[in-house]
Amino acid sequence: MKKSKSFIGKDLLGFGLLLLFLILFLVSDRLNDNETLNNLPGDWINVNTIFLSIVLEAIPFILLGVFVSSLIQVYVSEETIQKFLPKNAILALVPAAMLGSILPLCECAIVPVVRRLIKKGMPLHVGVVFLVAAPILNPIVFASTYFAFRSEPTNVILYSRMGLAFVLSIIIGGILYAIFRNNSEQLRSSVPTAHVHDHHHHQLNDKKPTLTARLKETLYHAVDEFFMMGKYLIMGAFIAALFQTFLDRSILEAIGTNPYSSTLVMMTFAYLLSLCSEADAFVAASFGSQFTDMSKVAFLTYGPMLDLKNTFMLFAFFKARFVIIFMITVTIIVFTAVMVLFGVIL
Amino acid sequence: MKKPYDHSFHAYIKGIILIGFALLMLALVISGNLVYYIAPTMYPFIYFAMTTFFILGIIQIFRSTSKNDDEHEQHCNCDHDHQIRGPKLVKLGIYSIFILPILLGFVLPDRMLNSDFAKNRGIQYGSGIVTVQAEGNSNEVEQEVSESSTSRADAYLEDPEGYFEYQDAQLYADNDIEHYQFEELYDQDWFDAFYEEFANELEQQDVITVTEENYLDVMTVLDLYLDRFIGKEIEIIGFVFREDDFNDNELVIARFSMTCCTADAGVYGTLVESNDASQFEGDTWVYASGIIKKGQYHEFQIPVITDSYLREVEEPTTPYVYPSYNW
Repeated sequence: MKKSKSFIGKDLLGFGLLLLFLILFLVSDRLNDNETLNNLPGDWINVNTIFLSIVLEAIPFILLGVFVSSLIQVYVSEETIQKFLPKNAILALVPAAMLGSILPLCECAIVPVVRRLIKKGMPLHVGVVFLVAAPILNPIVFASTYFAFRSEPTNVILYSRMGLAFVLSIIIGGILYAIFRNNSEQLRSSVPTAHVHDHHHHQLNDKKPTLTARLKETLYHAVDEFFMMGKYLIMGAFIAALFQTFLDRSILEAIGTNPYSSTLVMMTFAYLLSLCSEADAFVAASFGSQFTDMSKVAFLTYGPMLDLKNTFMLFAFFKARFVIIFMITVTIIVFTAVMVLFGVIL
Repeated sequence: MKKPYDHSFHAYIKGIILIGFALLMLALVISGNLVYYIAPTMYPFIYFAMTTFFILGIIQIFRSTSKNDDEHEQHCNCDHDHQIRGPKLVKLGIYSIFILPILLGFVLPDRMLNSDFAKNRGIQYGSGIVTVQAEGNSNEVEQEVSESSTSRADAYLEDPEGYFEYQDAQLYADNDIEHYQFEELYDQDWFDAFYEEFANELEQQDVITVTEENYLDVMTVLDLYLDRFIGKEIEIIGFVFREDDFNDNELVIARFSMTCCTADAGVYGTLVESNDASQFEGDTWVYASGIIKKGQYHEFQIPVITDSYLREVEEPTTPYVYPSYNW
């Protein structure tokens, strides 16, 4: 009795929600012209605009990432990954960075893919290389960076960005390997039990699942994973929208002249703004001449590797200690590398 | 004993939320208000997400009604780490996070970012690509607002329809400008050649008409070759923006630029001098026509439109401007 009651209640809840969406869909035009709503403080309308903008912009890319991740889950076996990776942990870093530059995935899409690959037995440090390299080293980011800084006589910023991303991803992977070599179970869910579950399952189920079954599985996985990632994206997008709206950029520009502080400021800024790596070059270019090339390169290298909305997603998938060590490592390495590159080499 | 995870209920709610997102996207596409959130080059991704959400949403609802769902869970060779766990309140909270943007999207008005935002963001005078340090010759910036009205304004007043036909023709002409292609982007000389050519073309026109399509290109050209355009007539549409230290006869006509989404929005503006300037409030859309002169704002040399005629206009259908490259 009680059970059936709660079932009806749940059905009604969902139906009511659907009805609400449909009604809103029909009246949304009228709500748009509603005077009371239009008289809300302009700042909060701005927050809403940016918040929705980031969410709408990121959703297709998260979906792509989630689909790639589901395809890996269903079609790529652990054996395949083991076979293709070099046995030597350090040697595996370089091909990982190169593979990262082929994958055209931005920082939203890469998180579920890396998590899936690690679950499938890819070593943690190799996953880290993907995580930091893929969002920068891809053709779309190359092109947009070129466009944004097209008036520069030499493309210092473009080549520094790409070069740093490649080298630093290997260094960061190496450092995290050194730290976590004896303790590579850093995913949040209990991976060991999953292994047991998997093997057990393989023995039970010898016959291959049908194509429709596999397709269904892929889609179900995609949806579940979208919901898992999505909540962090939405929270991150909201906080980023607050910073986007209320942070007065002229305050930053006042600190922009000193090379050290401006680099730190630009890195903080890259973190808070949570831009897509395909568009951040235009933002960096708009800072104009008050900021040095060095600080712009720091902005363009640090932002895609680590930002606010990304941090939320990382904390969801990895253990807190790992995420904190990862963040500290990336921050120190990027800052030092930019200092060395512009202070000593260039 | 742990309570069993109610797969079918979660599948059902997730399906409805996905359909909600798809409906929101559809509403924005139909009303055309998507333009306030996403750059048109990114629209295909939104169409992809919308279609996928509709399909996945419907599949999810079927999944919830199918009795075999539990069977799937047993056969699936994955660890079930993506269940939404925890007490009821946590589940409610998590689903609210997803429902919130859908409700906000439907209920709150879809609007352009406003000039308060532009102020925090910092405005770029000209294209911002080349910032020329002014030579400290402040004589050039003397406020000299003459009484003579401009011929373009007259043309409009005498024959409004003919004027707009002329503008359309201009717009058509702009489409003929070959925007640079992807393959060519590795050629630095070519970049200069493009703007050189574009500048020559503009120089030959009697009046420089700034449209949505050529906005950022014109801004760049005015920065690069300002000297060649001094004394030339220009007409432009944008929203009104003021810095705190502006005189009564000064305002900025600005546009937001967008590459992917509003998070990367920038503000590009031109300083306008006009006797009527004080009549126009911030954020109103205006048409301005006037003569280009070399001016200075703080220590930067910028183009200024002087002797301007100003008129309030409707917000354009594409309020943002976009970088004009083809992917």
